[in-house]
Amino acid sequence: MNAGSTNASANNNGARSSADGTEIHDRGYRKYEGARSGVVGAVRSLVWQTIRSILGLGRPARHKVFPVIVVVIAALPAVVFLGIALLFRDLGDDSLVNYSDLFGFSVAPIMIFAAMVAPEALVRDRRDGMFSLYLSTPLTRISYVGAKALAVLSVMMIIALGPVLLALVGYTVVGDGPPGVVDWFKVFFRLTAASLVISALMAAVSMAGSSVTDRRAFASVTVILVIFGGAIVSGILIDAAEFSNSYGFLDPMGTAGEMATRILGESPDGGQALSEIDTEVVALGTAAWFAAGAGIVGYKYRKLEAT
Amino acid sequence: MSIITTSGLTMQFGAQRALDSLNVDVQSGVTGLVGANGAGKTTLMSLVLGLRAPTAGQTRVLGLDPRTRGAELRAQIGYGPERNVVPEDMPAADFVKHMAEVRGMPRNEARGRASDALWLVGLGEERARALGTMSTGQRQRVKLAQAIASDPALLLLDEPTDGLDPVQRDEMLSLIRQVSREYGIDVLLSSHLLEEVERICDHIVALDAGQLVAQGRLEDLVGDEQGVVVELAETAEQPETFNDVVSQLSESGLEIRRGEAASRLEVIGPDADLVADLVRDAVADADARVIRIERRRRRLEDLFSVGTR
Repeated sequence: MNAGSTNASANNNGARSSADGTEIHDRGYRKYEGARSGVVGAVRSLVWQTIRSILGLGRPARHKVFPVIVVVIAALPAVVFLGIALLFRDLGDDSLVNYSDLFGFSVAPIMIFAAMVAPEALVRDRRDGMFSLYLSTPLTRISYVGAKALAVLSVMMIIALGPVLLALVGYTVVGDGPPGVVDWFKVFFRLTAASLVISALMAAVSMAGSSVTDRRAFASVTVILVIFGGAIVSGILIDAAEFSNSYGFLDPMGTAGEMATRILGESPDGGQALSEIDTEVVALGTAAWFAAGAGIVGYKYRKLEAT
Repeated sequence: MSIITTSGLTMQFGAQRALDSLNVDVQSGVTGLVGANGAGKTTLMSLVLGLRAPTAGQTRVLGLDPRTRGAELRAQIGYGPERNVVPEDMPAADFVKHMAEVRGMPRNEARGRASDALWLVGLGEERARALGTMSTGQRQRVKLAQAIASDPALLLLDEPTDGLDPVQRDEMLSLIRQVSREYGIDVLLSSHLLEEVERICDHIVALDAGQLVAQGRLEDLVGDEQGVVVELAETAEQPETFNDVVSQLSESGLEIRRGEAASRLEVIGPDADLVADLVRDAVADADARVIRIERRRRRLEDLFSVGTR
């Protein structure tokens, strides 16, 4: 190729063509006249970048270790019960664990993720000044927080939906799944909706905890305290002090789990504090936790200085 | 063409007035926003970006009101903040690509433009390096690259030479000048270092304690002035000699200003050559010893001494 060929001609894309059809592209910095993606593109990029950051993608290997461990722990019960279903098929339905119980097994990984995900997504940006830099782009405070919420929710869904979806597919493969395509999709949508409720509530709690402090460790501790503390306080009030079962709403994970059980249409476990309460009230309790978390995030980010 | 105009722009933080009834008209080209730390430069930039609501007054940037059409406006602006905002463990190319996407570049364009911008600022070979492993000078270049990758109409750079050594500073200033000249991007550059602003800027906006000290074309604000500066020797030992020179020049109808040093006089008259001749005669008559006679030259720092006088 010879850029200086007398047979070469330049086109308006900065490319030079020669008689033999070869082209030399001038790839330097230049003006851009094409379409721009606006706020939608900005949100999409921020969501994807946040998910990458949380999961350690494009970062050194040490950042991937923790998310991978949590995902494995979350998926383990589903894998074990699938194995049991496969190995002991003659036991029939007795060998199958229901989806509510699978959600129950995911409580610890969901809680760990809740404590990790939002601090990574929110606190880092405030500490290293990226929040202000983002606001110098088409993003506004609302679209920024919305993008972050979407990213946090997406990652929480991996933990909440992943194991039950694995179980559904596994049961179907071994012949213990829902009968017929229509029933299969009914179960699929119920699992998705239940996972969404758990993820949304945990994302709200996690983001609220991450809005009140600029230290990631403190944010994680705050989130764990709210989730754990709520469960302990409601347990003490109901079991030891014999208060009304309605105090079960102080437990965010219990509230989300109960709502998930109602969505799945499975029989409420009589041992749970909220199992005797009407579904509408459980839905209100779930909405209240979500609203409280979203309210704290909204208040904090409205007040946050951008320089 | 005006790219930024403000009228009566005021910003109050509690009891402190960061900007006081500012009327600014920033023209196309490279404009230096100068002033000491705390003069209000960063506050003005945040108002231009629409990040804050002013206490009073109006702002128009590229013909848009930052308060009502902020997102639309910011899509046309590249911003390089003063703070070291780079995420430590992110490769430079990923960071610049991400910021280009956030500023509106389609995904398939952003990767190429990020690479092009990094090559332009001299970091093409370093684009895969994590930002945390880069020097201060390299990070400043990355901040410039992320600001220009989306091909903005206006570039806002807050202290872009902060923390750089003299060589790096020269290179950064040349880059900024190149970006403006070759790609037609208007630049508003804040700095508290007046000499670097004098080197590359077409226009100046000078702030002091939130007030406008001066604004206009650089060549109108600095350069030769009518009159000369004369420095005499040993005035402490010969005060009469000094006074004789001053009286003779005053009697000639010239304006005399005492300089910062006791032996330094600024002699102002309508014709610099005539003033120089009169100074020569007065010095000879008084038998004074001259260290230096030079034409008066106005510098940027003089704007501040006049503004605060």
